Amino acid sequence: MDMATTSEKRAQNIGYACTGAHVDAGLGNRVAMRWISAELASNELSFSELDRRSNQFANVLGALGIRPGECIFTFLPRTPEQFYAFLGALKARVVVGTLFSNFGEDALLDRLGDARPRAVITKRSLARRIDRVRSQLPSLTHVILIDDDPLEEFGHLSFWSLLRAASDRFETPDTDPETRSVLHYTSGSIGKPKGVVHVHASLQHQRQTTANILGLNSDDVFWCTADQGWVTGTSYGIIGPWSLGITQLHYGGGYDAELWLRLLEEQRVTVWYTAPTALRMLMREPPELFRQFNLSHLRSVFSVGEPLNPEVIAWAQRVLDKDIHDTWFQTETGAIMISNRPNLKIRPGSMGVPVPGVEAAILSDDGLTLPPGQPGDLCLRVGWSSMFRTYLNNESVYRSRFRGDWYVTGDKAYCDPEGHFWFIGRTDDVINTGGHLVSPFEVESALLELPEVAESGVVGVPDDILFEKVIAFVALRGNRTLTPALDLKMRLHVSNRVSSVATPQQIVAVPSVPKNKSGKIMRRILRARYLGQPEGDTSTLEENA
Amino acid sequence: MNIAQRLTETFREVFNDPTLVVTPETTAKDVDGWDSFSHVNLIVAVELSFGIKFSQRELLTFRKVGDLLRSIQRNLDQA
Repeated sequence: MDMATTSEKRAQNIGYACTGAHVDAGLGNRVAMRWISAELASNELSFSELDRRSNQFANVLGALGIRPGECIFTFLPRTPEQFYAFLGALKARVVVGTLFSNFGEDALLDRLGDARPRAVITKRSLARRIDRVRSQLPSLTHVILIDDDPLEEFGHLSFWSLLRAASDRFETPDTDPETRSVLHYTSGSIGKPKGVVHVHASLQHQRQTTANILGLNSDDVFWCTADQGWVTGTSYGIIGPWSLGITQLHYGGGYDAELWLRLLEEQRVTVWYTAPTALRMLMREPPELFRQFNLSHLRSVFSVGEPLNPEVIAWAQRVLDKDIHDTWFQTETGAIMISNRPNLKIRPGSMGVPVPGVEAAILSDDGLTLPPGQPGDLCLRVGWSSMFRTYLNNESVYRSRFRGDWYVTGDKAYCDPEGHFWFIGRTDDVINTGGHLVSPFEVESALLELPEVAESGVVGVPDDILFEKVIAFVALRGNRTLTPALDLKMRLHVSNRVSSVATPQQIVAVPSVPKNKSGKIMRRILRARYLGQPEGDTSTLEENA
Repeated sequence: MNIAQRLTETFREVFNDPTLVVTPETTAKDVDGWDSFSHVNLIVAVELSFGIKFSQRELLTFRKVGDLLRSIQRNLDQA
């Protein structure tokens, strides 16, 4: 029998927990967000204001006929409207997906075609990409633009006109914790990207890890540099901190070493959550730069997205006088699973230890727990609240990710005798470049759209800054050669059809792409050839590749 | 077509936006999608379009479109 009261059930709604709950607790005047635009204009927003704006958006969705359980997407760079739409949708029990603003038309069509959203919130300059594929998205009834003067053509609506016309009062309904909440797409090495479905119950683990791992308390100013297109950007750029009533800095621009340091100093950021790629770029700056800024109030630095090299930790201790704590999680896990943290001695290069409530193990192919030091599949015992509930429209692949009671992460790792986990690599061919997962399949498919390309194979290889970089191998049709113009054509095609982060850093012309006898691209052979390493077992290689 | 017009065409091709307008004051913040990855595409496209090659030193000076325009002009003058 369900004994939860109405107020308890409302408190389980992520949108309400991040806004109205603080207003109802008398904390509405507390600053929720310090917004710094890319042009460096600043603005503060209280939890009351965040509550009212998200209420307005929840009412807008109702007025547009978008019902609980249906889906909308944001397709925006970092903007305040992202947060109003995200939280308002969750209040209305509408599922909300977030899309990186660098996605091209193919990437958009794959994701929107699968999720079948009713609305996309975007801006004029990005809406053109939606318009080009809109005829293939029959469920998409509303494209809502945050610009001041949205184009009337294509039936675009104005975000701000709709918001101004909507009431700022909204009664968040009872929300069962198993109600679907957030949808993120993740890339695989084969097939289309998969929609990772989360539910409102994720709030519990996201809140716990924000408090216990990131160590945030009500006096903190927190800066998570992740884009909201990424699970870190929603779990720790929105849900975790705001559900605890913590002030967040959000900056609308991209990486800029001097500016980031100035923001850390001027905004008195106390806890900073960023990515190894950004830290490695900071490492290239002269040490004098860091001496110009007072970072004494910065208590903790955390990193996520890619393995953190020991050199970065040593650099931060030397130049910033700070430890950097690595955290590990995936889109599918919804929140931090394994981490280093301030009260644990850092083992540089290790992922850390499982967070409270999470059981991790290294399993063999037949499901046996492997002893310390032996590499195998990193697995998590099922049961944490922020675990994904399915892949949208792909239940069979979802089921394939489990081995009994264990979720198989797809990462290879080992555990040392003291319980620290150490990342070895992926078990698939997904490329992690600058913290973004890139599907080789998506890039290969885009390249094959070009008439000059007969075959393509795409791999990730180690890179000093990006962790991995995208390398494409192409077999060209006829007697074509890889000219600079064709190289550029291929780069731009991938950038505009998939995303800029998927753009190959190098394109290599080959007579043919190695495949096995059943036609599968042998990416490990391409990788070995590129790196000048032994090719290993080639018994399944189709001849003459 | 003068340098500015040709550069605008290059921007439109790189960012797949036929309506994009750039001025000497335009920076990466003003163009959606102008990130570190697409910046590499832009530089390659500009070099190819104008038949020039930027030096590593020049590449570090580009803060806005005006810097790019000056550098293109300088390279063309030296050709």
